[in-house]
Amino acid sequence: MIRSIAGRLGVFALSLLGASVVIFLACQALPGDPATALLGTSATPETIAAKRAELGLDRPLPVRYVEWVAGMLRGDFGRSFATGDSVTALIAPTLPVTGSLAALSLLLAIVIALPLGMVSALRRRHWQGGAVSVLAQLGMAVPAFWAGILLSIFFGVRLRVLPPNMYVPFAQDPVEWARHLVLPVVSLALVQAAVLIRYVRSAFLEVLHEDYFRTARAVGWTQGRALLRHGVRNAALSLVTVLGLQLAAILVGAVVVEKVFILPGLGSLLLTYADRKDVMVLQAVVMLLVLAVLVINALVEVAYVLIDPRLRAGGRA
Amino acid sequence: MGNRTPHTRLGLGRRVAAVAAALALTTLAACTGQTTPGTSAPGASASPTEAPAAKTLTIAAHPELITLDPTAQAPAASAQAQLFNVYETLLKINSDGVPQPLLAQRWEVSPDGRTYTFYLNPTAKFASGKQVTAEAVVKNIDRIRTGQVDGKPVTAPDGTPVPVGAKYSTWMKVVQSATAVDPTTLKVTLTRPSNTWLYAMGDTPGLIADPDGFATLASKSAGSGPYQVKEWRKGDSLVLERNPGYWGTPGRFDTVTFKYIADPNAMNSALLAGTIDIIANEQAPDSLAQFADPARFTIVEGSTNAEVTMSMNNASPALKDVRVRRAIALAIDKKKVLDDVQAGRGTIIGSMTVPTDPYYEDLSGVNAYNPEQAKALLKEAGATDLTLRFRPANLPYATAAATDITAMLKAVGINVVLEPQPWPNWVQQVFVGKDYDLTIVAHVEARDLNTYDNSQFPNYYWGYANPAFNQLWLAADQAPREQYPDLMKKAARQLADDAASVWLYMMPNLVVTKATVTGVSQNQTTDSFDVTTIATR
Amino acid sequence: MRGLELRVGAVLVTLVVAAALLSRFWTPYDPTMPAGARLQPASAAHPLGTDAFGRDLLSRLLAGAQSTVYVGVIAVGIAVLIGVPLGLWAAQLPGRASEVLLRATDVAQAFPALLLAILLAGLFGGSTETAMVAIGLASIPQFLRVARAGALQVLASDFVLAARACGIGRLAIARTHVLPNIAPLVGVQATVSFALAILAEAALSYLGLGTRPPTPTWGSMLQQAQSVWFAHPEQAVIPGVAIAVAVLGFNLLGDGLREHLDPRLREEVA
Repeated sequence: MIRSIAGRLGVFALSLLGASVVIFLACQALPGDPATALLGTSATPETIAAKRAELGLDRPLPVRYVEWVAGMLRGDFGRSFATGDSVTALIAPTLPVTGSLAALSLLLAIVIALPLGMVSALRRRHWQGGAVSVLAQLGMAVPAFWAGILLSIFFGVRLRVLPPNMYVPFAQDPVEWARHLVLPVVSLALVQAAVLIRYVRSAFLEVLHEDYFRTARAVGWTQGRALLRHGVRNAALSLVTVLGLQLAAILVGAVVVEKVFILPGLGSLLLTYADRKDVMVLQAVVMLLVLAVLVINALVEVAYVLIDPRLRAGGRA
Repeated sequence: MGNRTPHTRLGLGRRVAAVAAALALTTLAACTGQTTPGTSAPGASASPTEAPAAKTLTIAAHPELITLDPTAQAPAASAQAQLFNVYETLLKINSDGVPQPLLAQRWEVSPDGRTYTFYLNPTAKFASGKQVTAEAVVKNIDRIRTGQVDGKPVTAPDGTPVPVGAKYSTWMKVVQSATAVDPTTLKVTLTRPSNTWLYAMGDTPGLIADPDGFATLASKSAGSGPYQVKEWRKGDSLVLERNPGYWGTPGRFDTVTFKYIADPNAMNSALLAGTIDIIANEQAPDSLAQFADPARFTIVEGSTNAEVTMSMNNASPALKDVRVRRAIALAIDKKKVLDDVQAGRGTIIGSMTVPTDPYYEDLSGVNAYNPEQAKALLKEAGATDLTLRFRPANLPYATAAATDITAMLKAVGINVVLEPQPWPNWVQQVFVGKDYDLTIVAHVEARDLNTYDNSQFPNYYWGYANPAFNQLWLAADQAPREQYPDLMKKAARQLADDAASVWLYMMPNLVVTKATVTGVSQNQTTDSFDVTTIATR
Repeated sequence: MRGLELRVGAVLVTLVVAAALLSRFWTPYDPTMPAGARLQPASAAHPLGTDAFGRDLLSRLLAGAQSTVYVGVIAVGIAVLIGVPLGLWAAQLPGRASEVLLRATDVAQAFPALLLAILLAGLFGGSTETAMVAIGLASIPQFLRVARAGALQVLASDFVLAARACGIGRLAIARTHVLPNIAPLVGVQATVSFALAILAEAALSYLGLGTRPPTPTWGSMLQQAQSVWFAHPEQAVIPGVAIAVAVLGFNLLGDGLREHLDPRLREEVA
C-alpha cells in the first residue's frame, strides 16, 4: 500500500513538473519580449538590453526556470515585470477569498446534491425523480456567473436582504464576511450541485442492483435504511472520484463569479493582470490554480487507495 | 508599466493622462466659493474648543494613488486626496474663478504684470510646527520649476531624484526668479506676463510642502493643511488624520478615509450599505435612481474642468487631412453619447474649454452632428475606404462612448477596429507611444488647452501642430487681464475649426453622499477633493 | 419519456442554429447600430426592447447565436481533429506508453478551457481566435479518451484480428474499421463538448477576453449590461436565457444520443 501511495505521489510530482514547464514556456517563450513591450516607443537596442538585464531576461531560459521553481518552493513568486511588485504579496491576500469561496461552494454543492441525487435514484419512476432530473438539467445549463448576476439583482438590490457584491475580510467582521459570501457561494454551488446530482444518482442506481443491497432488502431492511447503510458510502466514493475535476470547474467558475461580485480573489487578480499582459503574475496565478487542482487529485487518489482495498495492489481501477 | 518607469521619458504625458483618468473617474468637488467655515479662514477662529467629538468620513474614489507625493509623475489621485486637506497653496481659486487668500493673506501685481508680491500669513505653519516662510515657498517654487533647491537636485534617502511632474514644471517655466524679501514677503518675477500662472499657483503645481520633507514626499506627508497622512493601505485606502497643530480652523474629522473601489456597482452598493459616506464621482449615472430618496441620500451635480475628449492622432496619415477630421466630428451625435454614457448629465462642448473657464464660449455648433455633410467631406477628401484603430482607455465612460461612436462612424462609412486598452497599457501605448488613430479619455486639468501648443508640449499625443494656435495662446496668456478672455476664445475657436480633437462633453461632477453629509462643493475646480468644507450631521 | 430528451434537445439546437443562420442574412435591425431610444421595454417595433445604446435586443440576440455557433464549431473541430487521431494512436501504443499519455491528459485536464483562454488572452490579447483555440485545446483530452477507449474495444474485436491476419495495415484498419465504429461515440462527445464550449465562450466574452465589440455575443451583451442591470434587470436576463437554452439544447441532445446509442443505459433506467 505504501508503495502504491509513493508511486502515486511520484506521478503527482512528475505531473507538477510537467505543468510548471508548460506554463513557464507558454509565458516566457511564446510572447514577445517583455522588455521591448515595457519600453514602448523609447525602445532602442541599448535601453532594451538594459531593461532585459534589469528584469533578468538576459539569462538562458533553463536558468530562469530553475530560479522560478526554486523561488516558488520558498514561497517567492518573483516580481511583476511591469510594476516591480512582489507577486507573492499580490497573491497572499487573495487566497482566503478564493479559498473560502471554492471550499464553501463545494461543501454546499455536496449538501444539496446528496439528498437530491438519492431522491432522484429512489423515486426515478415517480414525479419527484423526474423533477430532480429536470432541475439538474436546467442547473447544468445555467452559467454560474449568470446565476450570480440574477441573485445579486434579486436578493441584493430588489429585496436588499444580502449585500449584492463586495467582500469583507473575516478578521474585520465575521458576520459581514459570511453575509457577503452567501450569494457568490450559492451561485457557484447551485450549478455544481446540478452536475453532482447526476453522479450521486448513478452511484445509488448502481447500489440498487448490487447483491448486498438485495440481500439487505431480503432480510427485511427497508429500502431507505439499506440505502443509507450502503448507498451513501458508495455515493461518497463516487463523489470523491469526481472531486478533482469538480474543483477545477469550481475554481474556474470562481474566477468569473468573483468578477460579478467584485471579490478581491485570485480570479480578480488573474483578470486584472491578464488584461495588462503582466506575465509574471499570470504565470504565478495559473501555476497556483493548476497546483490546487493537481494536489486535490493526488489527495483523492491517495484517499481512494486507503478506502478501497481493491486498489491497494497498485493498479489503476 | 506603472510608477517604476523613469519619469523623464513619460514626461507630461503620463501625468496628464493619469490625471485625466483620475479625474475622469473621480472628478471632484473642491474649493468653491461657498463660505463654509474651515475653507481658509487663516488664523481666524482657530479655537480648539470648536472641535467636534470623534468623527470619521469615508470617501469612495478611483483610481488609487500611486505615490504619496502629489507633485510627482503620478496620477492626480494623490492630489485629489491631499490638496487642501494635507497640503495648501498660497491662494485658492473659488468657483467664480476668483483667487482667495490661503497661505498668502494678500498679493500685489506690478503694472507690467511680471512681478507678484505675496504677503504670507504669519501664523501659517507646517504640521512639523515650523512656520511657512517666504524662504520655504521659494524652495517649493524652485523645486517644481527645476527639480533643484539651492542649486542642488532634491534626492530621496536612497539617492534617487525626487521626481517632479513635467506638467507642473511646465506651468512654472514662466517664473524667472522667486526671492524671499523677509520671512513673510515673497517676490516672484515672471519672464513675461501670464494670465494662467496665478491659477497654477492655486492648484497642484503651487502646493507648498515643508522643505525638510522634500526628500521623503513619496512616503510621508509634509503639508500645512488640517490633516496629515496617517496610513496608506496600498490597494485599499488612504487614511488621513487631523493635524492637531493646524494653524487655521481645525479639521472636523478625526480621520478621513479615501477608499479606492474600481467598480461602479461596488461603489454604489457600498454607499447603499452605509460603509462609505460619499461617492466622489458616480460612474454609473443609470444607477442614480437607487439614491433617489432624499431622506437617505444627496446627489450633488455640478461642473468639472474635465473635457471628455475623443483624440484624433493628427500626425497619422489618415487624419492629417483637416477635412477627414472635420468629417469625423460631423459624424458624431454628441447628444446621444451624453445620453447613453452619462444619462444626459453633463454639458456638450465644442472645444478644449468648459463653461467655468473665464474664456468659455459655446462652440458645440462648430462641426456639429451632420452625417450627410460628413459623407460629402470624406468623399471630397478621397477618404472613402477609411479604417481607423480606436483605442479608448478601458474606463466605463470611455468604452461606453466608444461603443456609440463606432456605430456613428460606421454610419458614414468609416470602419473602426475597436480595441479598448487597460489603463497602464493605454498610457504606454496610446498616450506615450502615440500608437492610435482615435482614443477617448477625459482631460481633467484646468485651463489645459495649451497642451495643443506643440512649442510648450512637443510630442504630445494629439500630434497637433499649428503655429497660428501657438501664437494665439501666447498672446492671450500675456495680454492684459481684461483682454485675456476674448483672446483665449480665439485660440479655442482655432482648435474647433481645425477639428484638432472631438470634444464630446464636460464630465459632470456627480457626487452622491449620505443625507447627513453637507458642504460638498458643487463644482470641481482643481485636482482636489476638498474635505475642509464638508460636515456631517 | 427518454425519447423526449433527444427531441427537446434537437428542437432547441435547431432553434439556435437556425437563429445563427438567419442572422447571417437578416436581422430586424443592424445589431451593431442604434435603432431607437435606449433601454426601451418590449414593444411591437422591438420585441425584446433595446439596450443601453438603443440597439435592438432581438437583433443582437440573433447575431449572438452566430458567434456562439461559430466559436463552438471551430473549437470542437480543433478538439476532434487533434484529439481523435491522438486517441487512435494511443490505442495502438504498448501499455506503458499509453499509460504515460493518459497521465499527460490528466495533467492537461488541470487546465480548464477558461483558464487556458485567460492565459492566452493575457499573452496575446483576447479575441475570437484565442477563445476558439483555447476552448479547442482544452477539449482535446475528452476526445482522446473517448477515441482511445472506443478504439481499444474495436481493435480487440474478431473482425479486426481477422483483418490484421490478412495483412491489412494499421492506418487502413483505423480508417475502415475503427473510425466508423467510434464515430457515434465521438459524435456524442462533440455534442457535450459543444455545450461546454458555449459556456466557456459566454464567460470569456463576459470577461471581455473573447470576441471584441461591436460584434455581438451573448457574453458581451451581459458585460455591457453590467452598468445598468440593477435598474434594468431584463438587460441581464435576456442574454442569459439564450445561453441557458443553447447549453440545455446541446446537453439534452448529447444525453439523448448517448442513450440511443448505448443500450445498456436504456436497460438501466427501464
